[in-house]
Amino acid sequence: MSWLVPVPIVLPLLGAALSVLVGRSRVAQRVIGVAVLATVAAASAVLLVAVERDGTIVARAGDWPAPLGITLVADRLAVTMLVVAAVMLLGVLLYAIAEPGAERNHVGFQSVYLALAAGVSASFLTGDLFNLFVAFEMMLTASYVLMTLGGRREQVRAGMTYVVISLLASTLFITSLALLYAATGTVNMADLAGRIAELPPGVRSAFAVLLLVVFGIKAALFPLFFWLPDSYPIAPSPITAVFAGLLTKVGIYAIVRSQTLFFPADSRPDTLVLVLAGATMVVGVLGALAQDDVKRILSFTIVSQIGYLAFGLGLFTVAGVAAAVFSMVHHIVVTTALFLASGLIEQVGGSSRLTRVGGMVRKAPVMAALFLLPALGMAGIPPLSGFVSKFALVDAGIASRQYVVVGVSLLVSLLTLLSMIRIWTGVFWNPVEEPPADGPPDPGGRGGPLGMLLPTAAVVACSLGVAAVAGPLYALSERTATELLDRTSYVAEVTRR
Amino acid sequence: MTIVLAATAATLFAVGTYLVLQRKLSRIIIGLGLLTHGANLLLLGSGRRGSPPVIGTGEVGSFSDPLPQALALTAIVITFAVTVLLLALAYRSWLLTHDDEVEDDVGDRDVARAEILREEIHDQETAMTDGIVDPVP
Amino acid sequence: MIAILALFGLSGVLLIAFGDRLRHNAFIAAALAPAVSALWTCLQLDEVVTGGVVAEQLAWVRQLGLTVDLRLDGMGATMTLLVSGIGVLILLYARSYFSPDMPNPGRLAGLLVLFAGAMVGLVQADHLLVVYTCWEITSVTSYLLIGNTHTDANARAAALHALLVTSAGGLAMLGGFVLLAHEAGTYRIGELAGGTPPTGGATVTVALVLVLLGAFTKSAQYPFHAWLPGAMAAPTPVSAYLHSATMVKAGVYLVARLAPVFAVATVWRPTVLAVGLVTLVAGGLRALRQHDLKLLLAFGTVSQLGLMMVLFGAGTPEATTAGWVLLVAHALFKAALFLVVGILDHQTGTRDIRELPALDRRWRGVEVVSAVSAASMAGLPLVAGFVAKESAYAALLDASFTAADVVAAATVGGSMLTVAYAARFHRGAFLTPRRRGRPGPAPSPSPLLLAPAALLAAVTVVLGVAPAAADGLATAAVRSLDGTAEAVHLAVWHAFNLPLLLSVVTLAGGFLLAVADRPAQRVLAAGSAVPRADAVYLRTLHGLGNLARAVTGVVQNGSLPVYAGVILLTAVALPAATLLPSLEWPGWPSPGNVADVPIAAMLVVAAVGAATVRRRFSAAVFLGAAGYGMAAFFVAYGAPDLALTQAVVETLSTVVFVLVLRRLPERFERQSSSRRRVVRLGIAALVGVTVFGFAIVAGGSRTSPPVSDEMVARSVPDGHGRNVVNVILVDFRGLDTLGEITVLAVASIGAVALARVGRRAAASQAEPEAPPIEAPGVRRIVFVDVSVHMVFHVVMLASVWLLFAGHNQPGGGFVGGLLAGSAITLNYIAGGIGEVRSGSRFRPWTVLGGGLLLAAGTATLPLLTGGSVLDVASSSVELPVLGTMNLSSALVFDAGVYLAVVGMVLMAFEAFGDEAPIEASA
Repeated sequence: MSWLVPVPIVLPLLGAALSVLVGRSRVAQRVIGVAVLATVAAASAVLLVAVERDGTIVARAGDWPAPLGITLVADRLAVTMLVVAAVMLLGVLLYAIAEPGAERNHVGFQSVYLALAAGVSASFLTGDLFNLFVAFEMMLTASYVLMTLGGRREQVRAGMTYVVISLLASTLFITSLALLYAATGTVNMADLAGRIAELPPGVRSAFAVLLLVVFGIKAALFPLFFWLPDSYPIAPSPITAVFAGLLTKVGIYAIVRSQTLFFPADSRPDTLVLVLAGATMVVGVLGALAQDDVKRILSFTIVSQIGYLAFGLGLFTVAGVAAAVFSMVHHIVVTTALFLASGLIEQVGGSSRLTRVGGMVRKAPVMAALFLLPALGMAGIPPLSGFVSKFALVDAGIASRQYVVVGVSLLVSLLTLLSMIRIWTGVFWNPVEEPPADGPPDPGGRGGPLGMLLPTAAVVACSLGVAAVAGPLYALSERTATELLDRTSYVAEVTRR
Repeated sequence: MTIVLAATAATLFAVGTYLVLQRKLSRIIIGLGLLTHGANLLLLGSGRRGSPPVIGTGEVGSFSDPLPQALALTAIVITFAVTVLLLALAYRSWLLTHDDEVEDDVGDRDVARAEILREEIHDQETAMTDGIVDPVP
Repeated sequence: MIAILALFGLSGVLLIAFGDRLRHNAFIAAALAPAVSALWTCLQLDEVVTGGVVAEQLAWVRQLGLTVDLRLDGMGATMTLLVSGIGVLILLYARSYFSPDMPNPGRLAGLLVLFAGAMVGLVQADHLLVVYTCWEITSVTSYLLIGNTHTDANARAAALHALLVTSAGGLAMLGGFVLLAHEAGTYRIGELAGGTPPTGGATVTVALVLVLLGAFTKSAQYPFHAWLPGAMAAPTPVSAYLHSATMVKAGVYLVARLAPVFAVATVWRPTVLAVGLVTLVAGGLRALRQHDLKLLLAFGTVSQLGLMMVLFGAGTPEATTAGWVLLVAHALFKAALFLVVGILDHQTGTRDIRELPALDRRWRGVEVVSAVSAASMAGLPLVAGFVAKESAYAALLDASFTAADVVAAATVGGSMLTVAYAARFHRGAFLTPRRRGRPGPAPSPSPLLLAPAALLAAVTVVLGVAPAAADGLATAAVRSLDGTAEAVHLAVWHAFNLPLLLSVVTLAGGFLLAVADRPAQRVLAAGSAVPRADAVYLRTLHGLGNLARAVTGVVQNGSLPVYAGVILLTAVALPAATLLPSLEWPGWPSPGNVADVPIAAMLVVAAVGAATVRRRFSAAVFLGAAGYGMAAFFVAYGAPDLALTQAVVETLSTVVFVLVLRRLPERFERQSSSRRRVVRLGIAALVGVTVFGFAIVAGGSRTSPPVSDEMVARSVPDGHGRNVVNVILVDFRGLDTLGEITVLAVASIGAVALARVGRRAAASQAEPEAPPIEAPGVRRIVFVDVSVHMVFHVVMLASVWLLFAGHNQPGGGFVGGLLAGSAITLNYIAGGIGEVRSGSRFRPWTVLGGGLLLAAGTATLPLLTGGSVLDVASSSVELPVLGTMNLSSALVFDAGVYLAVVGMVLMAFEAFGDEAPIEASA
């Protein structure tokens, strides 16, 4: 089965190359894009089944044994993330194709989008820290292009903030790689796990914190997230959906992977993570309350949700990490759904500012439902997926007696509900105050063109599905957490020659 | 890692930082360039120093560590590519604003002045004035 | 049971989706699910009355103990009957209350059904988390129901208020539940009540307080009550159902379930009894001041809920019994009274005591219903309320817990108020208007509108006359709550005893209060001095808003330099802070060669120069110089490939830099304020020092040899190349390289896209045969041309040679490609973009895509033949010029890299290289 592991990386790359070559035909490009991502999704699903059946699968690039070559490691965490990511990428691509707008028709869009997909897959699969850097760069460079495609003024401004901060993060990443190699003489993750243990404790914990910060910038932890709410809302909605849904999660993934794999329990910065988690929740949600633009509110909300993921990880118990993993899945799906819905709102209402749109519940009831469900899910209203995630976190937190952060998380979820409800009242209930600026007329009255409604509905359905299969999914998360905290199996699988 | 190399790298980092913390995009780009130079220097310094690692040009023991070199090479090229993109951004920004100053985020400025939760508070106030609870007789 | 809940859910969703087609008949369709539920419960009754239970379970998330446990016992059956039965009646009422052409009848009906379902689930749940789940669903549905007329600010505010308060309580309750479960080891209510869970200890105390918070907010206890009167903004049928008969009872119900076990806990009785009594009295006082009949009833509900809280909270079997009777009686009369108000409002258009018109004899029916229900509320004999009050007094009088008599006394006082506002209601609705004798437009209500209320009133009378009929269910209910309870015997007449006396006193006092209305009002007016809870709520909103602005204004100030500064500071401060305390200094490494010093010096000078000069152009040149300094360092360290790459990259990026800079103003503006300068310098210094320190420590703590030793060893035998760096790039770590050229490709696409926005759409794929365009300011001199052409081709050849040789000597795809790039640059300098375009036979896009395809293809191919990705197949061949060499798939891969790099350079010139651009339309 190990031949299947690289497919989610190389297939999108081939697709990207082809899509560049067939530049003259948009249709051909779209066919390539959808076909590739569909295949990737299928492949990832197969991998998930395989990994569940007979454990971690390792693929050695160029058949070089670790730590010589680059190893791709498909363990539970990687594959779970892979499946969710692939499905979301496909859904968003379909949505983007249907969405009117020059950007999505640019000759480069499809290939760049596929490059992004490749980068995301590589980030999840790679078992080599420097290769993770490269994967990040694929993903990020693609994201720079997607964000600024179209070159409108606010895009350029937001793009600058985004690119500069990301470049800063990348530089810090290279720096930590250099320091790690200086100290250990390897960049292979499994190898690092062994060699870091030999370092003096002080250096060990310093490296743990350094990596936490480096990845924390991508994951948008307090105080490293300020760039996010300034840049994400500017991009076109489907793009923002991918960024918010996936990119931040890749950062969290990197944190989870590095902290659990590289560092023995005694040198993990657990308290620091919990503190940052709490701060992220609070500051994020307060920011959300302060906005009056749907996409800005959502951007701040996801920041505050990142805090929940960090909270789960920071406990470093099976229960906590399991909760974090489950929450990641839930959060990717729900966030994507919400941003797609916000795109619909822009389409129908001609704006995403609460003061400019209104009365939508009459005008587009379907859209209202498509927003309300994930919104309540995000707020953790039972029986939606958000509740399972919230409860799992609270349960784990109380089990390890972290009452303060548990309290904070409960309080914040109330404020999250408030900020979701503000969108609901603002967009769907309030009578319109000003007429929409220059909104395209709503085709069909349902709320947006069918080509956008259906993918959105599909993603929302996924989010309901997460709640429906919460049982098995959480069981999987628990196995994943055990695997992560044990880390011997990972190392053994990789270094076996 | 030698003291000279570490010191040079550190200086590059310092100067780079100083430049990155400014508003002119072209200065920021130069700053990032210096920062990456510093990082690559550290990468180089993280490995053994020696003669070029080409088999047959000397005995293996005296080779410099090839792996950090390969990594640095990749890093250099990637940074080059992204820098080009960033320059394109600066170029675009110049077309739009005839400047490469990075402006502040407008939305954030609004927040500083805005009345937060305006709608909700307004509704509640109306409710409390209209809401005929406890009229004074 | 699960099936019935599913029926609720399904019909609810269907009604919301398609119900509007049925117009106001949607409400009849909606009545189906509750009817089924009521019938089913009736069928279970004899099972339940004999103390049996019906239970079902459905697993959700086992690992978290999340299972759907349902259990129908006496209390559950009582509540289910009330919820479903009253539900049916109110839905039928709604059918004739709403006009056929109301907007979205389906949505309203569907939400009501969903709510009813959640409520049924809540009272049948045997699992605290199922309780919480249904609890939150009722909160959300009630939010949507209150806000049904969402164009009205009052409705929106009331809806939000209700939602925030109840879900705040709900979240506290959730925390309480989890704490409780961790202490008691179970989420099952049955096991909690049956077993002996811990009732002492800090954790349990906190848990109980949190749970009670939930109960108080949901059941509108002081000081959280304010949302309930507000909720009267909802249509009357909704208020009648949610805010009198069912939802608001959820809190009381929860207390009833937990009290028998936890009443002994130190916090329990003081808290519950105090809150309950305050609510009973304060609610009554407020009710006496209302002119809007609906609000009067709302505050009456608050008050009655307080009394129920007291009775169930007391935790003695007798009190629980009294609580049960009151719960049933209240549901009956309060629902009926709301329906009466609805009828008045519907027919006369007002529900204000001061404006109601005189109603003629055709209104007798309504008046009787109102009289009976009001009497029951007041606790007159021969109606249900009397039985409730009697048993309440009896229970409180012989209760043994501390201050029980005080509680009894307060209850009597509160009940007087109840009598008074009951009287105020009936008098205000019928008697006073008739005395005022202002006949108004009051078409008598249709029998359909009256029937449900009449039915409820009838039951009230039956229970009042023959309470013993309910003995069976009562016993079952009370025993299901409190196993120690004896069989219940309800009766109208016990004997001449203290409770009877108290009832008489209550009635007398109450009527006195009602008669002496004017003086009473004057006294009550003082009450408006007391701060009002909804004002507190408003202030909370304000405070929250200010907090949000304050925090967000500080952290999110929108300025890139600040963000970058914070990030860099965090990135150095946190690791340094962790490193320093437990630092063992590894000792200084070798200072380095003397030869390094001048190079280092040159680097530093260049860097500082780039930072300080005013001219953009010179800054770029300094940056380039720094780059060459790097190259020198690489050479000194024994990294020729790196040096080559660095040099070429530097050349190219300087060129691109200059291409862009020629558009930008020549100089930087003045430096910003010196304060900022100092801050920047500070951060910069900190970064530098930390990097230095960390570098020394990291370098010093290396224990094991690098993995690359083995690479060197296996480079020739397995990697088929003598230049280890190149072998690493294209073989050991080919995946990196693949990713890297992807980055190149994507970046160049982005650059072209950005630089050429607003040109003609095809610009990004300019035709190769496009006519060469003169670069500005370049005069073409024949001899320059010739020489450039010669050089161009030589350099091109050299680049190709580097590509082939790279595997064994310094060189390779990158360096080759980059060198070709500089050849193209030469071309550009000579002839502008036109020269570049004619120079390459293909479109940049094709070169780029081709290179990427070649590389990715070579990487993927082995997969098809069962190998692993990037497997290298090789064979040695005889080549002219280059002599014998090893032609391997790695070389093809490298060729892909070469092409990609060339393509990138071509793209770069596409982006920046041509004539002054058209002004972009921002």
